[in-house]
Parts: sequence; C-alpha cells; structure tokens
Amino acid sequence: MSTGTRHGAVAAEWTKLSSVRSTWWTALAGLLVMAASAGQLAIYAANDNTNDDPADDLGIVTVGSVLIDSVELTQYVVLALGLLAITAEFTSGTIRTTLQCTPSRGRVLLAKAAVTFAVTFALGLLLGGVGVGVARPVLGEWGSAPAAGTLGDIVAVAAYLALVGVLALGLGAALRSAVLTLTVLLATLMIVPLSLQEPDIDVLNRIADVFPGVAGGHFLAGDTEPYPSLVGLALLAGWAGAALLLGRTALRRRDA
Amino acid sequence: MITLRGLTKRFGSTVAVDALTVDIAPGRVTGFLGPNGAGKSTTMRMILGLDRPTAGQALVGGRAYRELRRPLHEVGALLDARAIHPARSGRAHLRAMAQSNGIPARRVDEVLDTVGLDARAAGKPGRTLSLGMGQRLGIAGALLGDPPVLMFDEPVNGLDPDGVRWVRELTRSLADEGRTVFVSSHLMSEMQLTADQLVVIGRGRLLADAPIDEVIAGSTVVVRVRSPHPDGLATLAARLTAAGASVEAADPDELTVTGVSADQVGDLAHELGVRLHELSAHAASLEQAFMELTADSVEYAGGPTRGGAR
Repeated sequence: MSTGTRHGAVAAEWTKLSSVRSTWWTALAGLLVMAASAGQLAIYAANDNTNDDPADDLGIVTVGSVLIDSVELTQYVVLALGLLAITAEFTSGTIRTTLQCTPSRGRVLLAKAAVTFAVTFALGLLLGGVGVGVARPVLGEWGSAPAAGTLGDIVAVAAYLALVGVLALGLGAALRSAVLTLTVLLATLMIVPLSLQEPDIDVLNRIADVFPGVAGGHFLAGDTEPYPSLVGLALLAGWAGAALLLGRTALRRRDA
Repeated sequence: MITLRGLTKRFGSTVAVDALTVDIAPGRVTGFLGPNGAGKSTTMRMILGLDRPTAGQALVGGRAYRELRRPLHEVGALLDARAIHPARSGRAHLRAMAQSNGIPARRVDEVLDTVGLDARAAGKPGRTLSLGMGQRLGIAGALLGDPPVLMFDEPVNGLDPDGVRWVRELTRSLADEGRTVFVSSHLMSEMQLTADQLVVIGRGRLLADAPIDEVIAGSTVVVRVRSPHPDGLATLAARLTAAGASVEAADPDELTVTGVSADQVGDLAHELGVRLHELSAHAASLEQAFMELTADSVEYAGGPTRGGAR
C-alpha cells in the first residue's frame, strides 16, 4: 500500500506538471535558447580560428564543449520547471489540495523531485541533441564530434540539468516565492562564485569550487583539478539533496 | 466522526481558536457557525493537518490527519473553491487528486457527473471557472474517495439558487447515508434549513454545541405591535419599558418588543385603550439566536470594539 501511494503521488505530480501549458512553453523556450546559444558559441569558435589575430586560435574544438558552454544560459530556463512545480502551488493555493491528498510532506516533495528529475533529464537529452545538431554544422572544419565523447557530454548535460532542476524545487519549497527562489539560484549558481573567483585568491577559489554551478561545471568539463569530475557531480547532487531536505523541513514546520 | 480536544491555535498574541472541545457525530449535518474571523477556517485547516495546532488535537476517525495514508478515502473537504491552478483544467485537477490516492480514473467522471459539471466545463482552465463552478469542482474533489467524513467551508458561496438547493439536498443525503457532514457558513438561514446540529464559535471559543432546535428555542421571542395612534403607542412603549421589556420603535406606528409575551402586550394595550392594527409574536430565527450568542464576540463590529481578545 505504501508503495502504491508513492507511485500514486508521482503519477499525480506528472499529471499536474503535464496538464499546464507553461510546462511545454518552458521546454520549447529551453530548446530555442539552447539552439541560439550553441549556434552563437559555435560561430565565435569558428571566427576565433579564422580572424586576423592568431592569439585567438583555439584549433579544433569538440561539439560537446560548445554544448556544455551553452548550458550556462539554458539552465535558467530548465530550472524554471523545478521551480514552478512547487511555487505555482503556493501562488494558486493548490498546495492545500496537494497536502490533503498526500499529508506526508516528505512524500510530496520526493514525488515532485522524481518527476522534476525525470522530466529535466529527458529534456536535457533533447537539448543536448539540439545543441550538438546546431553546433556541428556551424563549426564545420573547426569542430570534431567523436561519437562516444559527444554522447557522454549529452548525458552529462542531462544529469547536470536534472540536478539543478531538483535544486530549484527544494529551494522553491523552502522559499515559496518564485522570484525570491530565482534570485537565490542566480546568486548561488553564478554571482557568488564569480565574485569569489574574481580576485583569483587561492582560498576564495577553493570556496567557489564547492558551489553547485562550479562543481557542476567541473563535472561537465571532465576536469581532474581541483577534484575528479565525479566529485563535482557528487557535490552538485549534495546541493540538490540538501535543498530538498530544507524544503521538507519548511513544508513540515509551516502552516499551509 | 471528528474529535476536537482542547484544540488551540495562536498566531503571535492572537488566539484564533481557543481550547475547542467538540465531537462532530456521523449521520447528521453539523453546521459550523461564527462571525467572520471567529476561527472556523483555521479549525477546519487544523482538522486537515494543514495548520499545526498550538495545543490540543484534532482527530478524524480517531486518527490525526497527517497519519492517514490515503486520506481522500477518510475525509473529503472543500476549503477554497478558488484554489485551482489557473491553467489546469478541472478534470486534470481531479485526475491528479485521484491518482495520488489510488482512485480509478472513472471515478473522476462519476463525481463530475454528480456535481453537474459537463465535459466542456470540466475541460476549461481553472482561471475561467466561475466561483459557482469552482464550488462544484471542490465538492467533486471532496466526494472522490467516497469518504465517511465530509467538510465543506462555505459551500453555497457563489452558487445560484438551484445550486444552493442542490448543496442542501446533497449534504442532507450524505448525512442520511450515515456520514459525518461538517459545514461552515455565515448564512444562518441556510444552516436553519440544512443543519441538525450546530457548533457556534466566536473569537475562537465554543459558544454553543447543541441541536438546532435547542439553539433557536434558547433565544427570545419578538413581539411586533402596530397602531394607527403614535401617541398611544408611545405610552404603551413607556409602560412596557417600565415593566422591564426591551422596546424598539422602528417607526412611529410600530414597536418591536422583546422580554414579554404577546399576551402581556395585548393586555396592556387594552388597559391603556390603545387601538392596535397588529400584534404578532415572531418565532425566533436562527439568525437571531446567532446574533444573541455571538453579540460579545464579533471581531469586526461596526463600532470601536475591534481588536484585542478579552
């Protein structure tokens, strides 16, 4: 019975997410941003190799690296899915219906996390395909697309986006407001670590390396420094898990 | 069966619900009455585990709501008819509810049919639903799990007269089936038509928990007197006041008297030789009983009584 209700809660969350048009518009927006971003970055890469300044030359770049750089911007569209899955419930008041149906706050949030993860992962795969599809012809002779490496990059991008989606969900549950959550996410993913890295001081760089966006970046790039790429993945997953715990605590403590 | 034991909710220094101890029994419609801000909705939210009680407990069928695995089979509730996602259709809203509690999809169509929402209305996005349609959708959601306990917060709000009659008949038939039906309303006249039992609260405190007839019987009878002679009527008013009655002169030719019987008023008028065109006793309405019960506990009275719990 308890597995039954868990499946039921997941099915309900999928119904809620798929029955509003904004979900599909968000996915479409993600695809457009990815296509534009990958196209633009591919043009830059090709231009750098063909302009008059030899200092710019990058040589042949992988399509996967262009894809990964395109995620920088695209992620903010994708994480809206995780964000809206919870904040829309607070705005419309349906959170009370949801908690009436499933009184366990942890179960509600886990069901939402499962759906968010699955949807953003699938969307991530699609985005990866689109990014590669756009970047490859634009790069032309300056690009390479080794099958295994490119496929690995696409899956990595999907995993990164899925974890960032769950991070947004957990934070949204804790903060309730979409705008506030998005602000905090912008700060955590980009502004704070960038500010820390700016002076290029070793200690500050180390601190920045722990932030979810930077850790995810090391994972995507397949870095070995400052830690193996899988540690980057683990750090990002840790952030997502911590956000979920925070969200569950807030849902339990506060009146709905 | 809903059991409230010393149920208390404080928001800062404000006591919204104050040590409420009530049993809401199955097989009858229990009306939940109180002025605005009396704590009705807060009480219902605590029963549903949405708000945490500061003290005491609220149990449904002997268990706390948060412990229920598939609560829609135990309690159906309509809290806020406006609480639907603006872009989600009523049908999808109900389907998600059903899925969460392992209720088959065909049940969604059954309850939509029961509340009289056709396929077109059920397919419309939430933002386009009228308040009345929202109420019907909310009631459909409450009925999904065929629960033994039902709670409706202001269910007739926004319904047309047909809808009001429909809710009246529905609550009656649900109670006749042996279910616990707990309905809040500020429409006293509506309660008079539907409720068997009344729970009245004011400023979060229990003012009455009794069969509706008793609540009405406990209030005073009003006597109306009309006369074509204002002078005579004024004399009559003075004598009645002296005799301890409470007299109100709505018009120069009409008095409203409480505290004495119609017989006494008639005798006195005869004694004074005042010609009467009307002498009628009015059975107290629930509305009147309600006003008397809650007179001291209206939070937002017109006068300067607002604020600070006593």
